[in-house]
Amino acid sequence: MLRHKVQMLVLAMVLLVSTASATLGLALLAANNGPFTHAFAAQDGASLTVTVDQARAGAAQLAATRNLHGVTAAAGPFAEATVQSQFAGQPFGQLTLAGRADPGGRVDDVVLNAGHWVTGPGQVVLNSTPGDGGPVLGNTITATGLPHAQTLTVVGFASSITNTADGWVAPAEVPALQSPGVAPSEQMLYRFATAGTDAQVRADLAEVTGALPPGTVTGAGSWLAAESQNTSNGAIMEPFVVAFALIGLAMAVLIVANVVSGAVSAGYYRIGVLKSIGLTPAQVAVAYLSRVGLPAVAGCVAGVVAGNLLAIPVLHQSAEAYGVGSQQVPLWASVLAPAGMLALTALAALGPALRAGRLSATQAIAAGRAPNAGRGYGAYRLAARLRLPRPIGMGLAAPFARPGRTLVSLAAIAFGATAVIFAFGLSASLGRAASIQTLATVPVQIQPDGPGTGSGPYQLPSAAQDSSVTAALRAQPGTAREVEVYENQVKVTGVAGSANAWAFNGDSSWIGYGVIAGHWYDAPGQVDVNTAFLSASGLSIGDLTTVDTGTTQVSVRIVGEVFHPSSTPTLYASTQTLPGFATPANVLEWDVAVRSGTGTAGYVQAVNSALGGNSPWAATTQHQGGKFYAIADTLVGLLALMVAVAAGLGVLNTVLMTTRDRVHDLGIFKALGMRPGQVLTMVMCWIIGPAVLAAAIAAPVAMALNTATVHAMAGTAHTGVPASITDVFPPSRLALLSLAALAIAAAGALAPASWAARARPAVALRTE
Amino acid sequence: MTDQSAPGDVIVLDGVTKSYQADAPPAVADLSMGVAAGEVVAVMGPSGSGKSTLLNLIAGLDRPTAGTVTVAGRRIDALGESALARFRARHVGIIFQFFNLLDDLTVEDNVLLPAQLAGASRRQARARADELLVKMGIQDYRNAYPARMSGGQRQRVAIARALVNHPAVLLADEPTGALDTATGQQIGQLLQQLNEGGQTLVLVTHDPGLADRYAARTVRIVDGRLAGAHARVSQ
Repeated sequence: MLRHKVQMLVLAMVLLVSTASATLGLALLAANNGPFTHAFAAQDGASLTVTVDQARAGAAQLAATRNLHGVTAAAGPFAEATVQSQFAGQPFGQLTLAGRADPGGRVDDVVLNAGHWVTGPGQVVLNSTPGDGGPVLGNTITATGLPHAQTLTVVGFASSITNTADGWVAPAEVPALQSPGVAPSEQMLYRFATAGTDAQVRADLAEVTGALPPGTVTGAGSWLAAESQNTSNGAIMEPFVVAFALIGLAMAVLIVANVVSGAVSAGYYRIGVLKSIGLTPAQVAVAYLSRVGLPAVAGCVAGVVAGNLLAIPVLHQSAEAYGVGSQQVPLWASVLAPAGMLALTALAALGPALRAGRLSATQAIAAGRAPNAGRGYGAYRLAARLRLPRPIGMGLAAPFARPGRTLVSLAAIAFGATAVIFAFGLSASLGRAASIQTLATVPVQIQPDGPGTGSGPYQLPSAAQDSSVTAALRAQPGTAREVEVYENQVKVTGVAGSANAWAFNGDSSWIGYGVIAGHWYDAPGQVDVNTAFLSASGLSIGDLTTVDTGTTQVSVRIVGEVFHPSSTPTLYASTQTLPGFATPANVLEWDVAVRSGTGTAGYVQAVNSALGGNSPWAATTQHQGGKFYAIADTLVGLLALMVAVAAGLGVLNTVLMTTRDRVHDLGIFKALGMRPGQVLTMVMCWIIGPAVLAAAIAAPVAMALNTATVHAMAGTAHTGVPASITDVFPPSRLALLSLAALAIAAAGALAPASWAARARPAVALRTE
Repeated sequence: MTDQSAPGDVIVLDGVTKSYQADAPPAVADLSMGVAAGEVVAVMGPSGSGKSTLLNLIAGLDRPTAGTVTVAGRRIDALGESALARFRARHVGIIFQFFNLLDDLTVEDNVLLPAQLAGASRRQARARADELLVKMGIQDYRNAYPARMSGGQRQRVAIARALVNHPAVLLADEPTGALDTATGQQIGQLLQQLNEGGQTLVLVTHDPGLADRYAARTVRIVDGRLAGAHARVSQ
């Protein structure tokens, strides 16, 4: 009776885990199905953000643009200011701050994620998330580069789907933040009826520009740029979510069918008794469907609750990433997942229940009492000849007696082990991708931190200021390597539009770009390119092409493809390869490696002291990892754990059914002197053989699945994959991870094996 | 009531009670008895009288609720499960009414199993099994599976299995209960031969004829208590 209760409990638990997994999977698929599009619609994102010269734009003229052809909604004008900022005494970068009295509106309905909206001067709401080394609520940031530095208290964190500003302040605050000598500007936000392509957005911009006096529009931002940046991160998760969902679903089908049919078969004796007291076949079938119905419903209901609870933190992370506030599990997912699992349960129970209905009373009683006839005599004979302790030999032979049940166990363990190995592999792959993408070898970067003394309207740093950075870095004893990096747009023969070019003044081979094919450039005239470049140009490694830097045209040879998840064609070369490119206007940053034993924080402080407070450059630490990788890691772990738990429960069920079938034999073994430890060993060995086979199957399958998933994810991020990202299974690690199969099997079999070991022989001999 | 034990008895039960449920009468109540080495004792009584429970207690398959059970000089009621299993393997042979052979093992492997569980060397175990298979007249069936054998043949396998570790006591629970009369007599004679070789035997049976023919002493149990005992005058 206890065993039957346990079986019902296992059924409920398997359905709980399966339903939770299915609910979470569906929720994730829904959340990742065009998250940017959903967020853009939910926030009434701006199709076009136009920056105008406040002095030239009359209020009436700006208001008139709301009624232009194709404009479906507009918001603004919002006064804006661009300031250099500091946080905790460190440069915090350039911020565009817009003056908005409230976050809502018909366009760019900003979502407040924490704190409150600005209520007066001296406050700012940042377009970011708290923490990660940055400010939290109540911290202050300082706007520098103004006649009087302004201190702003962070009162909230919010997100704008198209990033219309880096932060928001009270409208009255903006004049105090505008630099003297820089024309005050305002932003207008528009939604257009047609803005699905770059050409349409350009046409929309032309409409606005044409309606205002010449020179009024000083800048514009398209929603397509934000979409391009965000969508790859969202879609990139789909392959592994789908992979886990498929594993989980296949295993749930297998385990639920096995558990349910086992539970019904285990009740044959009771069926016989019911028939003998007059129940009709139909009543018996209904009785047996209802026998599994209660635990099934309980498991599914608990599962959908658990799935929703598990989904909250994951979706919250996703929501933060896409700026759509708190996402919730869609109602259809909360209905479909339990309904599907219940339907599956009913289907699995129907066959055995109908069979039970057709059995005569005596047949049912006999079938319920007598253990099923076994097979695998040859295996037992062979095991007896092996020089193994008898309990081990008999345990290893046992799976052959019930090949069907053994296959179910094997499949459950294989699915679970595949999920675990795949999860570790994917986590390692994502870690390596993160390491490459965030240039883990570059702990320190020197980046812009304010206006320079150079000529032109942008007050770029001068050549002298740039040289002082190189000098300061070389003077630091902690500097191991440094290289100056330039960036600008170039024209490349074969690439429509512009390509991005990065030029390195010095040795850059140490930076650690992931080379997918070919090699990192090592001579003038050579360039490396990203996958998007090759796709856009149709060129291959080894091909020659011409790069127009705007001042000169050079012929270059492509020598390598590097990992750079972006849809923008990008090339990398030395400054010698791109003459005229290394100008103060193009300086992007310095990448710095520090000597072993040098503390990064102390180094950054020392460099900034050397540069002085008036330098347009400042040293910052490089933060490894990104939000996407954190979300992905959490998801991978969660999904793998669920699949492994379900697999363990599947094993528990099959071992439980086998101990029930063989309880009389267990009594005989005990009567003949088999000790509890030997019984435990024997029962554990029932499952060890299938587990070893499952490990042998799971290891290559997980490797292949990892490679396919990483390539699919990379495909959505417009990049190929360096071998180092998929080569995450050295033999020793694979062997270690394969132990997951044994761990799942052992964890699942331990409880029934312990029960078998503890059972009193007299009781076991009486029990059938 | 007790059937007093004597010094040197190979089985000694002293005030043994076995209850399965607190509010139900005990299956065995305050029972004391002894069995001498080389003796054949028949335990008789109606269904539900506690015969099989008594046998299970002597075999160490079950534990008494009260009292002590000493077999082959060792108190087994106080042993842990592992020690008890080891004790059973080495000192007790059990023959069941329905043979309780393992259907997926050959005859030879069935007979070898207790020796292997007891840690006997392969060579010794095999030699002993060969000897017993010959003795039981089933040497030609060593590679057969029990399910394909007759009841008598199966019981012979069960007896060989029970004897493989040279047990101090052989316990037989209705050994002829599942056999026809002729086969039952053959098995009875076989047990008698074993006893003549010095084997101590406790025989639970419903069959007064079996008890009369082969047991030196018959113990009667009713409602878990000794209802009487008598020694056979002559064999």
